[in-house]
Amino acid sequence: MIVHTFRKEIKELWRDGRVRIAFIIVLFLTAIAVFISTNHYKNVNEQYVEASANEREVWDNQGEKNPHSAAHYGTYAFKPKYPLSLIDQGVDKYTGTSIFLEAHNRNEAQFIAASDQTGLARFGDLTPDFILLFIIPLLLILIAYNSITKEKENGTLTLLNSQGAVGWKIVFGKWMAIFFPVCILLSALFLITGLLLSNLPDFGVFSWASLFTLLVTYLIYYAIFINLILIISASVSKSGIALVLSLSVWILVCLVLPKAASNLAEYKYPYPTRQEFSENIAQDKKQGLDGHNPWSKAAKELEEQTLKKYGVDSLSQLPFNYDGYRMQKGEEHEAEIYFKHYNYLKTQYSNQNGIYQKLAAISPYLPVRFLSMAIAKTDYNTHWDFSDAAENYRIETQKFLNDHFAEASTYGEWGFKADADFWKQLPKFNYEPPSLSKIIQTNTSSIIIMLVWLVGSFTLLFFTTKSL
Amino acid sequence: MLRYNFKYEWLLLIRNRWIQLLSILLLLLFGFAVYNGIQKVEARQNSIEAAVTELKTQETATLSVLDSLENGHKVSVSRWRLPSRPVVIGNSLARVVNMPAKSTAFIATGQSDLFTHYVKPTVTGDDLSMSYTEMTSPVQLLFGSFDLAFVIIYLLPLLIIAFSFNVLAAERESGTLKLLASQPIRIRTWVLQKLGLRFFWLILCISVTLLLVFVIFSFDFTANWTSLLVLIGYIIVYALFWFVLAFATNIWIRSSAKNAIALIGFWVLFVLLSPSILNQLSNSLYPMPSRTLMLNQMRTLKAEATKKQDKILDSYLRDHPEYAINDSTQTRNFYHKYMATQNLVKEELRPVVEKFETQLENQHQWAHTFSWLSPALTVQNALNDLAGTSEKDYQEFRSQSLEFAQQWRDFFLPFMFNNQKFAKSDYKNLPAFAYTYKEDATHLRILGLLGISFMIMLLVFLLKPMKQKISIV
Repeated sequence: MIVHTFRKEIKELWRDGRVRIAFIIVLFLTAIAVFISTNHYKNVNEQYVEASANEREVWDNQGEKNPHSAAHYGTYAFKPKYPLSLIDQGVDKYTGTSIFLEAHNRNEAQFIAASDQTGLARFGDLTPDFILLFIIPLLLILIAYNSITKEKENGTLTLLNSQGAVGWKIVFGKWMAIFFPVCILLSALFLITGLLLSNLPDFGVFSWASLFTLLVTYLIYYAIFINLILIISASVSKSGIALVLSLSVWILVCLVLPKAASNLAEYKYPYPTRQEFSENIAQDKKQGLDGHNPWSKAAKELEEQTLKKYGVDSLSQLPFNYDGYRMQKGEEHEAEIYFKHYNYLKTQYSNQNGIYQKLAAISPYLPVRFLSMAIAKTDYNTHWDFSDAAENYRIETQKFLNDHFAEASTYGEWGFKADADFWKQLPKFNYEPPSLSKIIQTNTSSIIIMLVWLVGSFTLLFFTTKSL
Repeated sequence: MLRYNFKYEWLLLIRNRWIQLLSILLLLLFGFAVYNGIQKVEARQNSIEAAVTELKTQETATLSVLDSLENGHKVSVSRWRLPSRPVVIGNSLARVVNMPAKSTAFIATGQSDLFTHYVKPTVTGDDLSMSYTEMTSPVQLLFGSFDLAFVIIYLLPLLIIAFSFNVLAAERESGTLKLLASQPIRIRTWVLQKLGLRFFWLILCISVTLLLVFVIFSFDFTANWTSLLVLIGYIIVYALFWFVLAFATNIWIRSSAKNAIALIGFWVLFVLLSPSILNQLSNSLYPMPSRTLMLNQMRTLKAEATKKQDKILDSYLRDHPEYAINDSTQTRNFYHKYMATQNLVKEELRPVVEKFETQLENQHQWAHTFSWLSPALTVQNALNDLAGTSEKDYQEFRSQSLEFAQQWRDFFLPFMFNNQKFAKSDYKNLPAFAYTYKEDATHLRILGLLGISFMIMLLVFLLKPMKQKISIV
């Protein structure tokens, strides 16, 4: 029975003009989206390579200089783009791409792409993720809204029943007939994308496993949607009503709830404004050790401690330049302050995340949205990871410079200059993004919620259609 | 006939519980949206106020130190933080250059979650390092905000579609169309009357619920009644457009399901697709130069400038002989070199920065030219303008604040180069900033949308082949 229904439905769909047109439109849109994203990806990558190389050259060739002047001069860490961002741009548009690494300060990532665009950008971009998350579910509604109501309206359901067909078997056949075309189409699209990406020169970061996980995520998303549509179609008697109801669910799940969630999250766990944030840090810094201020209370304490530790009675007797040493201690203290304040931001965000997760109980869009970005390495967590890595590199750089200052010069020698080739010894900034297994680990809750949705909707579908 | 129709429609809508359902739904949606909007505006105003209060306390403290200094008392401030140094005042007492919210700001979030509402330009800071983006979770920016504009632009059309997609087809599907055809009225006129009545009831529901929500959230009606009228006007025009579209599909398409599909298709096209396609096109046609490469340029320029600091200062002083003349001490320190270099770098970077501005302006122009293609865009822009949260408003804030930053620096430059001390009496001369909203919004686009609605209507009535073809079977 399942096979018969499947065959009949597939044939019917194939012959239906609106389905064909809809498919063609979606394919056309996807092609444009992929084309635009590929260009964007290539551009950004070229800029990234060029900017990183330039910046390193500027650093290497700064000539003879005091190490601490070089620390103030600073350097930049640029955020790379990853191949799967071609499929899901995630929050990339709203996070900065470059972080200035200098002495005493941890800086936020600069240059948010959205702030360099018109207000149109807030409506969204025509990218593959837009089509995958919004348009294909809509297409599914279009295909499936009347698959059970039409049997009721035409009276064929009675005929089917009289032949001894069981409700859930008919529905399962129909389910397969809707899912299969989408599954094949999507797999083909992902395969093409995979081949395209693996042929790019910087193939190293692309992984088929990630692409496959992404594909499975979307297939589960569509399965959930098909279940919801069929449940509605089985519960009402008119096609028109089924369509309007399915669409309402789509709007609620994909548009209304995410926005409502974002408002709730902001209301309950607000971020400080940029100015407040920097003011708070400045307050904390004032009270502690400042590498540039040898007269503060904290500086005096450090002085005494150091003298005691090395058993000498004046700073010039120390085996290193105390100025560099104090500079480093100040740096470490400031890094702690930043760590504390950034941790506060992270806590706020993880609390916000909790709200998104709670609302995911009524919107399967949310867990899929988060998972998809995470796998594509365009989510907020990846941005945090990058920003932390840049901060670690900054701390290491400061240590590298201050240590050299302390070791190679004597106390009070502020005119000291490091050799022109000294700068080349600083290791390059190399950012390794989290691996797929790590990503899956951090997103377990999203995966569980998504699977609960899948199983739950299947069960509900089974019980609503057991006896049609 | 209109009288019968009116009465019947009223009874139908009431007994179907349509009116009741709609009112409750609208009340909930408007209520939640306005609540969210007001929360955001309050947070914005509070942060500005906090910054101003903070500045005031700092000012009092600084002024008292200055007072003691001038009276020859001893102060416990390290030498380079003495407020008699102009550079200290220029950096530590930086004004809170802010953009207060309009009273209508809660209507549309617009770009207000992306950009900051106050900056504190310092005398040694440079324009490029001033950050205008707000510290918001990017996830929030991605999802957007549930504001009144969202309800109006995204959800209202869907309510209208649900309200009107099967007006004619339902009659046909339930077999009552034949009865109707026997009445002395043309089907088209009948559909028009019926939809017109629904339009009337919907607008009434919207106005009443909106007013109720505004009353609940204590909106200041006396001061802002024009904005309220404009808002309702926008809603009427936008709703009319969707009703006209529903009228056309009702006449042209026979089955109710297909009607719904067609209307949803229009919705997807106007609300989701055309804005994103326009955005992509504007980005591709007027691509932004790379910010990362701009950084490179800036760094190289700064590095070069630092190497020739002394020369730069010399030529700067040649250009500004007043500084060389007025200063009796003729001492030059780090900050003199710094300020002169800063000026030079700014001048040299100007073409690079301008390229960003012109490209953004081009994108904006392009988007503006084609925004009439999507009624959703037209209304979004109009609402953002009304709320004072459009990208233009933030651009305006940027340029006004940068102007002020220059004014602030210019105020301190003579002090610094003349090696003149900052006195308590100079305090009252400090430049002050007040943001003024630029009011150049026109209703032309909205009127254009009204025109489009009439054109669609006209088409439905004029297209000959359709004239008698509304089949009743």
